[in-house]
Amino acid sequence: MIKKILVIFQKEMLDNMRDYRSWGTGVFWALFGPLLLGGMIMLLGNSIRENVDEPLILPVAGAENAPNLIAFLEQQDVVFETAPADPESAVIAGDINVALIIPENYSENFSAGETAKVQLVFDSTRQSAMVDINRAQNLLEGYGNYIGLLRLSLRGVSPEVMRAVQVEEVDTATPQSQALIFLSMLPYFIIFAIFNGASPVITDATAGERERGSLEPLLINPLPRGWIAIGKMLSAMPFAIFNLIVTLAGFAIIFRILPIEELLGVQIGFDISALIAIFLICLPIVFLACAIQTLIASFAKTTKEAGTYLPFIGLIPSLPGLALAFLPVKPELWTMLIPTFGQQVLINQFLRSEPILGLNIVVSAVLTIILSTVVTFIAIKLYEGERIIMGK
Amino acid sequence: MIQVHGLSKSFGKVKAVQNVSFSAPDGKITGLLGPNGAGKSTTLRMLYTLLKPESGSAQVDGFDVSQNPIEVQSRIGVLADARGLYSRLTSRENIRYYGRLHGLTGEALENKINSLLVLLDMQSIADRKTEGFSTGEKLKVAIARTLVHNPQNVLLDEPTNGLDVMSTRAMRQFILRLRDEGRCVLFTSHIMQEVAALCDQIVIISRGEVSANGSPEDLRKQTGKENLEDAFVAVIGSEEGLA
Repeated sequence: MIKKILVIFQKEMLDNMRDYRSWGTGVFWALFGPLLLGGMIMLLGNSIRENVDEPLILPVAGAENAPNLIAFLEQQDVVFETAPADPESAVIAGDINVALIIPENYSENFSAGETAKVQLVFDSTRQSAMVDINRAQNLLEGYGNYIGLLRLSLRGVSPEVMRAVQVEEVDTATPQSQALIFLSMLPYFIIFAIFNGASPVITDATAGERERGSLEPLLINPLPRGWIAIGKMLSAMPFAIFNLIVTLAGFAIIFRILPIEELLGVQIGFDISALIAIFLICLPIVFLACAIQTLIASFAKTTKEAGTYLPFIGLIPSLPGLALAFLPVKPELWTMLIPTFGQQVLINQFLRSEPILGLNIVVSAVLTIILSTVVTFIAIKLYEGERIIMGK
Repeated sequence: MIQVHGLSKSFGKVKAVQNVSFSAPDGKITGLLGPNGAGKSTTLRMLYTLLKPESGSAQVDGFDVSQNPIEVQSRIGVLADARGLYSRLTSRENIRYYGRLHGLTGEALENKINSLLVLLDMQSIADRKTEGFSTGEKLKVAIARTLVHNPQNVLLDEPTNGLDVMSTRAMRQFILRLRDEGRCVLFTSHIMQEVAALCDQIVIISRGEVSANGSPEDLRKQTGKENLEDAFVAVIGSEEGLA
């Protein structure tokens, strides 16, 4: 039995290795995650750094109405430019991030000791402008407080009166845990890469085999059809594992070559032992990915049909990983009962350097393997039926 | 030696094959003749274990196709209607794959492959990938892998389909050769001349049923027609679907 499965496996490996386009597509998806994440980190890191280092450029209309305010802001490294005639539409158009409008009655009100209004024009939904907007808001608020305190002092009132409550912020987020927002997306990309490594190969070996008319002669050979299904499924595993390795290596390289500390102001712990641990945790998912996709591709009438199903199949189990980036889930036992979800929680734990329960690893692996075995069994049954030949 | 007893098969409401019986002895060429859609391929597919008979039974060298499919599979060589090759593998690799699936290994397998390459005059294409092969070249590879395990029973589904005149002649010579080696040869065709030229025994199938069975001589006598072609038409009841 082992011998003949090996014959199938070897032939499929030879055939698939020569099919550069199929596994090349798979490898692309393996690199997709690291490249995307690396790009995002670079973009975000750059926008944070640039904006903090550089002076705030603030378009102003009516600067002559508030010379004191302007002088205060200039001291705070703000560079002024004349605001466009219609600041609002310039902000909407994205030409400027923020604009300050000082009305004519400002100096009148200010001199009278009344509340003098200024307008800050911005679009709060534009992420790239947030740094400029926050800086402008803080500076203006700072000036308002400063003048207010001066006025209270002049009238003999202690500035303390103004501060009935002082809020002292204690942020427990370590620099590492801020970076984890990014790392939390890793499980998503890893599982996606595994599925996409196996899918082109499986599509070709099952749906493709029928489409080419080589399935029928193959099934006449003296071996149970189930062995053929198993051999084909096994031959997709090296490609899924290869993709897993490529994607993990990709992340390791991205985190190594990118000056993460400089870009994000934090350090990411992604060392060899974490890589190996994640690799081992993901191995049962390789089995599941190959089993599910063998089943689906056997059902599909053509490679084209299989090609429309399989990307979704890879997407579904990897989606919880994406959710994990925003909704932290505690690593309770029930999460380990859900194949692929448990692994994603575990990967997150590894990245956070949290203590991991051995039981959780075992439970998630066993459950995934049981499900994979059941799916494999169904695929074998499908191969034993007549539907596989007729394709309907 | 192939024996068929009351074989039936339906697809949904369509009765593809009904109560088909015949036997194909060793050292003889048996032809299944019938119009397109008469049930020839379905009958053959049940014989080579791809489809399960609904009722009736069939034996190859005494092994039942339903009870002992693996035994049957190792005793038959099949040129199926679908004769897809692996386009990324060479001719030799395609043949070797089937040889290994039949349990052949090592030198014995390589020698067998080499002798088939010589026999089918395909040494020049032996180590080329089969992508882009002509119909005739593809057929040679398909035949070689059909015979790599030296089967006693050879089943051919429309073997001359799509071949030019020269290739058709070569194919017929090849079928005669298989018979002379003492094998049981069973093939389907909808071409009367072909069946007439080759067969020792003819089974005529129309609308899923056997409508006549015997040697060309028997058929002429049964129908009272001088010409074999007229005999076919008389048996089938129409000329539709024949060539």
